[in-house]
Amino acid sequence: MTSASIGVQADRAADLDLVRRLKDPALLLLPALAFLAFIYLLPLIDLIRISVSGPSWTSYFERVFAIPLYWDSLVRTMQISVTVACLCLLFGYPTALLIHRSRGITQALIATAIVLPYFIAILIRTYAWMVLLGRNGPVNKLLVSIGILSEPAQLLFNRGTVLLGMTAVLLPLMVLTIYSSVARLDQSLTRAALASGAGPIAAFWRVLLPLTLPGMGAGFLLVFVAAIGFFITPTLLGGPGDQMFAMHITQQADSVTSEGFLQALGVVLLAITLAVVAVAGRFLGFEFIWGGRKLTEATPTTADRRAADVSRRSVAASAADLIGWPLLRLFGRLPASFGTWTVRLMGGLVIAILILPIIVVMIISFSSASYLTFPPPGFSFRWYEQFFSDSNWMRAFWTSLVVAAMSAGIAIVLGASAALGIVRSSIRGKSTIMLLLVSPIIVPPVVLGLSLYSLFLRFDLVGSVFGLAAAHAIGGLPLVVVIVSASLQGVDTRLEQAAAVHGASSLTVFRLVTLPAIMPGLAAATFFAFLHSFDELVLTLFLSSAELKTLPLMLWGDVNYRLNPVLAVVSTLEVLLVVAGLALARPVLATSRKAT
Amino acid sequence: MGEPAAQRPMRAGDANVRTLPTGRQRDRDAIGSSIAVRDAVKRYGSFHAVDRISIDIEPGEFITLLGPSGSGKTTLLNLVAGFQSLDSGEILVDGKPVHNVPTHNRGFGMVFQSYALFPNMTVSQNVAFPLRMAGVDRATAERRVAETLEIMRLTEHATKSPSQMSGGQQQRVAIARAIVREPKVVLMDEPLSALDRRLREQIQIEIRDLHRTIGSTILFVTHDQGEALTMSDRIAVLNAGKIVQIGRPLDIYRHPIDRFVASFVGESNLIEAEILQKRGSTLTMKNRAGYVFSAESRDTIDVGRATVLVRPERIAVSNEPSANSTPVSVTSTIFLGEILRIEAQMEGGDPLLIRCTDMADRPLPNVGDRLHVNWGAADCWVLA
Repeated sequence: MTSASIGVQADRAADLDLVRRLKDPALLLLPALAFLAFIYLLPLIDLIRISVSGPSWTSYFERVFAIPLYWDSLVRTMQISVTVACLCLLFGYPTALLIHRSRGITQALIATAIVLPYFIAILIRTYAWMVLLGRNGPVNKLLVSIGILSEPAQLLFNRGTVLLGMTAVLLPLMVLTIYSSVARLDQSLTRAALASGAGPIAAFWRVLLPLTLPGMGAGFLLVFVAAIGFFITPTLLGGPGDQMFAMHITQQADSVTSEGFLQALGVVLLAITLAVVAVAGRFLGFEFIWGGRKLTEATPTTADRRAADVSRRSVAASAADLIGWPLLRLFGRLPASFGTWTVRLMGGLVIAILILPIIVVMIISFSSASYLTFPPPGFSFRWYEQFFSDSNWMRAFWTSLVVAAMSAGIAIVLGASAALGIVRSSIRGKSTIMLLLVSPIIVPPVVLGLSLYSLFLRFDLVGSVFGLAAAHAIGGLPLVVVIVSASLQGVDTRLEQAAAVHGASSLTVFRLVTLPAIMPGLAAATFFAFLHSFDELVLTLFLSSAELKTLPLMLWGDVNYRLNPVLAVVSTLEVLLVVAGLALARPVLATSRKAT
Repeated sequence: MGEPAAQRPMRAGDANVRTLPTGRQRDRDAIGSSIAVRDAVKRYGSFHAVDRISIDIEPGEFITLLGPSGSGKTTLLNLVAGFQSLDSGEILVDGKPVHNVPTHNRGFGMVFQSYALFPNMTVSQNVAFPLRMAGVDRATAERRVAETLEIMRLTEHATKSPSQMSGGQQQRVAIARAIVREPKVVLMDEPLSALDRRLREQIQIEIRDLHRTIGSTILFVTHDQGEALTMSDRIAVLNAGKIVQIGRPLDIYRHPIDRFVASFVGESNLIEAEILQKRGSTLTMKNRAGYVFSAESRDTIDVGRATVLVRPERIAVSNEPSANSTPVSVTSTIFLGEILRIEAQMEGGDPLLIRCTDMADRPLPNVGDRLHVNWGAADCWVLA
């Protein structure tokens, strides 16, 4: 670049250069990156630093792996997470196909049945299962009335309910990931398979399945990574033998003596998560985290080609000749409705699992009984009255609204400008920056909470509304970046060029062309960032104080001590909030799907 | 385009009389199926995509469904393929109803607009797919795949992935996959519309020659009238869910049944004229410009007004007036290479489109020039 000391002309050139540099959209990335560096990267680095600050750097980790309690819990966490991911895959795939194959109003209803629970707080959905499976819950009542049980049994607090609850909570994530991969496929591929004589099952096995394998992999890993860090559901639905790793971190968090060791626990969880994501990213491309491209690209594998060309008489090929192909042809003779009904039954089961708990909770909120029982003996608004007249609940409700609004504000300002920076600038390493911006999604909330706790102590932010809002914005930011950059990519740059050619300055172009085009995306992103904060519990557990209680925190306290219908009231209100938000965002989501 | 055909000039008789290896040359009547569609109806809500269509397709016939988008041609093809089910009516293949037969048991071949090659399989795996599904043993399947790839000139691409090939090559793979099982019926859904013009014309010829060789009944869907005229034994012109006219390409072009067919197939001048008198099958007519001409007619019309179709290439142009000519003034001239496309205005303001061969000794007419045109009774077709 020109040096300013040469002369006036050089000076002017340098000035111009500076102006040009200041106009570089890459600068828009700075606020978000600075924010994340301070509140996200710094605490995580600090966490790692403390974890290696023992007598020798490995000493805390040695303790983690030496104590059977933690080692067993780690193994258990892996077992549970893999099982949950497998269950989600098994039931999620047919559900994704069901959405894909249905049309019109049916499709909208099924999609809503999947998407709605996705946006309802994990705490509330877990609570719904506690209600459903409780001693006076509908499942016990049903089993007794049809004579399978003689008296209500304890269905909760075992491994089965943990698996059921976690699978139910994570299923929408799996379904949506697989659906995006199925929906991107050319519909005529399946038709071509059918026209080539492949029955529905053969078409599925030879064409649909191989082509959506990357989507399945992405779904599996996203669910697995989320499950590793799970804390709320296993705490509420599990028994003493179902302790998951993240639960130890929260239990140890209060004792000062475990400084260092606690951080080591967090680092182990973080390291496992990052390792899984790194391996997955290597094969799928890191876009899988935010549902970007690359999910449907499949080329014939080298193994396939070798089978076709070189070792024609290999064992695998003869096995395929002897068993595989005849089996597929045999399945082809099954009535065509067989596959359809498999998909409908499994998909229907998934929808029931996702929707029934919510419906039961909504019904119970209008119960006239003083305890949880289903069906309610009568209809009343008494629990609504109790909720709205209880100053503690109302204060928590307002606190949550304020925190969520602030958090959404922070997330949308930082996230939208970062999205502009990443889509519109031509800097190098875009994918790395995107990965950094989106990475808070995959960091287990427990680890994030733990790392933020010490930062907040140092800056005296514990229990401050602003601090909590900023912490919630860490998770809101990736949502905003992903949604806004998708809608920015959908903006036709020719429109902007047309406006510029006809005399609009770059600010005017942004105001008149770009902003209206991404407005729906901005609105949706704001809503999701708001909801993220409104639902947030894990970070709040670490960062709030006795004076600063949010709604999820109040819920958490009550769920652990007394299950009463007031919780159902809060849940119903949350469901209504999400339904209203989704109804508002629906046209937005429809257009952004078209654009991407 | 890295088309092998482009590098290897086609010799006469190379593609045109390409035959199947010995022993597989069959009598064309023996292989194709007849297809009969009876009163087929397919509705989407209140919209009739296919509105009581009936059509009889002869064994081994190459029939084209031609129509603008939304005319129901693709829906009709999907009904025959079994991707969609009829609301009423029936479809018979070789006299047997097929509406209860699922697609994969109908034994058809099909080529798609988007090629629809399985991206997870190589070219030869794609082509082998229908054979494997039909239970053909590996050795036979390999031989048949090799033969089919040979016919489609794809042998050297056998181990490639479809994504490594050009559009034209991919579509030839798709055709190979459709014919490898020697199906009695091959369905083609706008297979050429994604290709550029040169390639499209080349593959048109390949498909037509292939049809002669394999003898299957081919049901071809297109919105391109030129394609339909070039390839088909018969064309069914569809509009708004109904078959408007069905016939040989020449009949459709020369004797369209109404204004829609006349203007959809080929370029046309539709001239409103008054019938002055009728003698035998010859009408004497007068248009708005006062030009009196005679026209052959069907016997239904004898008095009043009628619309007369005069194809632009049937109009004779001269610089000098003659006994039965009428003057026109040129509004634009487009030089298309071998022909000139002249837009002119008749007296009274009716536009007239003229296509004539370019003559080296004549300067191009300028805008405003006066020309003298005429046409004979045989050049006109009186529409109902």
